[in-house]
Amino acid sequence: MMTDDSKIKGIIKDANLNKNIGNFSYWIHRLTGIGLAIYLIMHTYVLSSAISGAETFNERMGFVQNPFFAVLEILLIAGVFLHMLNGLRITITDFFDWSRGHKVLFWIMAVVFVILMIVAIKLQWPKFFIDNYAAGGH
Amino acid sequence: MAERVSNQSVLTWFLQRISGILLAFFLITHLNVHHLFHDITLEGIINFAGVRENLQSSLWWKVYYIAFVPFVVFHALNGLWQVIADFRLKAGTAVLVKALFWILGIILIVTAIMTLSNLFGGGA
Repeated sequence: MMTDDSKIKGIIKDANLNKNIGNFSYWIHRLTGIGLAIYLIMHTYVLSSAISGAETFNERMGFVQNPFFAVLEILLIAGVFLHMLNGLRITITDFFDWSRGHKVLFWIMAVVFVILMIVAIKLQWPKFFIDNYAAGGH
Repeated sequence: MAERVSNQSVLTWFLQRISGILLAFFLITHLNVHHLFHDITLEGIINFAGVRENLQSSLWWKVYYIAFVPFVVFHALNGLWQVIADFRLKAGTAVLVKALFWILGIILIVTAIMTLSNLFGGGA
């Protein structure tokens, strides 16, 4: 029976043996998926402050609204788009029995990802500067 | 000989893809409205009053978030379970992990519904 340690070593060995698009996107999907699941728990924790009322919510939300978290948010958005686009690629390949087209789909999704990230960074840009947080607001 | 795939595995495989397609729609809307198109220079930082105002602006948001939460929790936990299942856990450990995921899922959904009902406010 393999130990957990040797199982992990086996997985890393397999990943190194198969350096191709399919394996690369498999790892991207797993890693972004794990990251997003952890983020979902943190996101629920931060927003659950609303249960305690407006003051607690504003205090906790205030802590995560600054340029540092705006940069982290870009990583989050990149993770969402990578997972979403690769997930659509997997679903199209599965449902339409189109495994021969998965490499073409990978490159189409890669181009869409780059375009979406350029738009996302442009929209997010003002949040990278602390002075903009002093604006009036709600 | 081909290994028989259980009906439950086929169902969760199918639901993972269906929930994934729905989440693509939910997340694009959520990211745009509450993250990317929130103009910090005009609207300032996100606060309780602002979120409540947005959520109360239309019945659509209530329907949207009540549908969004179960799908995202299912997709996240079922996805994590698929990653863990690749480690071929012992039967007892697998049951324990599944039980923990069920508990975590229920906690997340209940917390999210309590959060949303406070943000919807005004008996909405």
